[in-house]
Amino acid sequence: MEVPAGFLVVYLLFSCFVASSYGVYFSSLNETLIVTATPTQGQVLKAGEDQISVTWRFNQTYRAGTDSAYKTVKVKLCYAPISQKDRSWRKTVDLLKKDKTCPHKIVARPYTASNNSFTWTIERDIPSGVYFVRAFAFNAQDEQVAYGQTTNAHKSTNLFEIQAITGRHMSLDIASICFSAFSIVALAGFFYMEKRKAKGSQEK
Amino acid sequence: MPEIEGSPGSSMHGVTGREPVLAFSVASPMVHTDRTAKFDLPVDSEHKATVFKLFSFANPHMRTFHLSWISFFTTFISTFAAAPLVPIIRDNLNLTKSDIGNAGVASVSGSIFSRLVMGAVCDLLGPRYGCAFLIMLSAPTVFCMSFVNDASGYMTVRFMIGFSLATFVSCQYWMSTMFNSKIIGLVNGTAAGWGNMGGGATQLLMPVLFEIIKKAGATPFTAWRIAFFIPGWLNVIMGILVLTLGQDLPDGNLSTLQKKGDVAKDKFGKVLWYAVTNYRTWIFVLLYGYSMGVELTIDNVIAEYFYDRFDLKLHLAGIIAACFGMANLLARPFGGFTSDYMAKRFGMRGRLWNLWLLQTAGGVCCLCLGLVNSLPLAITFMMLFSIGAQAACGATFGIIPFISRRSLGIISGMTGAGGNFGSGLTQLIFFASASFSTAKGLTYMGIMIIGCTLPVTLVHFPQWGSMFLPPSQDIVKGSEEHYYVSEWTDEEKQKGMHQASLKFAENSRSERGGKVASAPTPPENTPNRV
Repeated sequence: MEVPAGFLVVYLLFSCFVASSYGVYFSSLNETLIVTATPTQGQVLKAGEDQISVTWRFNQTYRAGTDSAYKTVKVKLCYAPISQKDRSWRKTVDLLKKDKTCPHKIVARPYTASNNSFTWTIERDIPSGVYFVRAFAFNAQDEQVAYGQTTNAHKSTNLFEIQAITGRHMSLDIASICFSAFSIVALAGFFYMEKRKAKGSQEK
Repeated sequence: MPEIEGSPGSSMHGVTGREPVLAFSVASPMVHTDRTAKFDLPVDSEHKATVFKLFSFANPHMRTFHLSWISFFTTFISTFAAAPLVPIIRDNLNLTKSDIGNAGVASVSGSIFSRLVMGAVCDLLGPRYGCAFLIMLSAPTVFCMSFVNDASGYMTVRFMIGFSLATFVSCQYWMSTMFNSKIIGLVNGTAAGWGNMGGGATQLLMPVLFEIIKKAGATPFTAWRIAFFIPGWLNVIMGILVLTLGQDLPDGNLSTLQKKGDVAKDKFGKVLWYAVTNYRTWIFVLLYGYSMGVELTIDNVIAEYFYDRFDLKLHLAGIIAACFGMANLLARPFGGFTSDYMAKRFGMRGRLWNLWLLQTAGGVCCLCLGLVNSLPLAITFMMLFSIGAQAACGATFGIIPFISRRSLGIISGMTGAGGNFGSGLTQLIFFASASFSTAKGLTYMGIMIIGCTLPVTLVHFPQWGSMFLPPSQDIVKGSEEHYYVSEWTDEEKQKGMHQASLKFAENSRSERGGKVASAPTPPENTPNRV
């Protein structure tokens, strides 16, 4: 029984080093949805203030019945290649469960072939960057089965920019200055008082 | 370190920047106890404690210990506070991978210089003010995080906060004024290890603070800035506690410290020369860069690594990252313990092999950490790596006291600086460029650790040998006395300045190992009584 046990251990160890590769691949999906969004090419939007209106429908040029498996649609905000450069945590990977291109959810809706739209106020935790919009259609097993996006296959057209909030506040800045001043003044105060006490006791 | 009471260097002089071995001898009956002094702990003639009572807060000795290690712990929290929040900060400030990596390098570089300066500051102002000045002046730098807008601001603030890691020097210096040299190894080793735990605690603390502040209603890009106020307040609070509760000396009098300048002090130039010209110093500077250095590097990159690679939530990545740093509680003392244990049987050769084994094992686990794809395995390899690297830190300082007796302070300081330098270097090479992923960076770093640990095979003591070579058979050259007294010129020997080295040489004969314990001392051995 030693051989199978040893083999099992080696197999387990090996499998932990080799990445698990099951799941849906983006390259296997068809672009059967037509997605449009209000921002125009190069438009700059402000996070927390501006809005994006997204509409999506099934592309009727595909054979009827292609969309019979679609149950839900999730619309996402995605990074354009320029915003992924030197930022490996936003990398595009073909295996969708490892893909980090589209981390920000806009809306999730049950699937209907047409008449879908949603207006979204850009949330305040969206970072600065260049974006496009992509919608995934999911089947009943919650796997991606189709997609649609506002840009072309190379992700080079119809990209818009979002400017993030700074996260800074006047009140924070003031509090910061106050506490810093307190620290320096307290230190100087202690030092001065002790020097005076030492001089005083020396003179006695 | 056994020393003649009152001899040059036995008091607080010469122990600046010292990070001595973890000795497990506690109370020693050979130390003269001053029974007239009214302290909670038994003290020697200088009123330094001869016993280490861990859970006491008695003034002044144990209170100093706790104030000291907690201040050092606090600076570790502040210096590495940004690391677990990087996934949020990088979105707020639009950072690239090189921005993040360079900021990590900056955070450990500042203290290379500040640690060297801190010794002089402690000499001038005393360790209490040295510590208080540093942590209270670095509190504003922590609060400055609320102003940061971009990559350059982020890097500058992390650089400035990093200066505060010099509290390590004030911590060790302060405790050498309070604790007898026989137990100073244990005391300083415990303080250093527990202070380093701050690098782990912060990975736990900051994400939790961030979540609480977010739940209270702040947006993520504001919440992380507010979270930084807590380390800032900790700095201020510890500074005030050190100033109000601490005292420089057991008798509480700073001016006495200044009056002791009449004790003959060694020439800095000479001490530096003997440190720099001893090739072993440089080997250990390199080695420490790959035990302590990689520990600091991991403190900076591991939370982000778990967050990105395994898609964990921020606080979960923080918990895992915290386990790395918190292992210091036991891992570092463990390294000192194994070093002492191996020395009992195999002498210095045992210590060298122990260091090589621990550090190389750490390197192998780092290599595997970058390769595995499953979370449980990654955590396992990370913990094994932490034990290997931190135990190697403890083991390093099991050997350093034997490199030189005269220049111990400077060699300890240089080795400590080498740790920070190694950290900056590994972050620069492996984690600041976009050419390869963090996972590959960890693997390459593991390979570099294994490679850079090999020079320990070159460390040779004529009196004890090295990892592969036996000690010198020459009667004169193969004696401990010859090695340690060769650091003094004939002129200095005539003045009797080498007496402490002689005494140390005699006591270091235990490094020959168990088999040679009963070897007769060479007939020309100079008597150790003045």
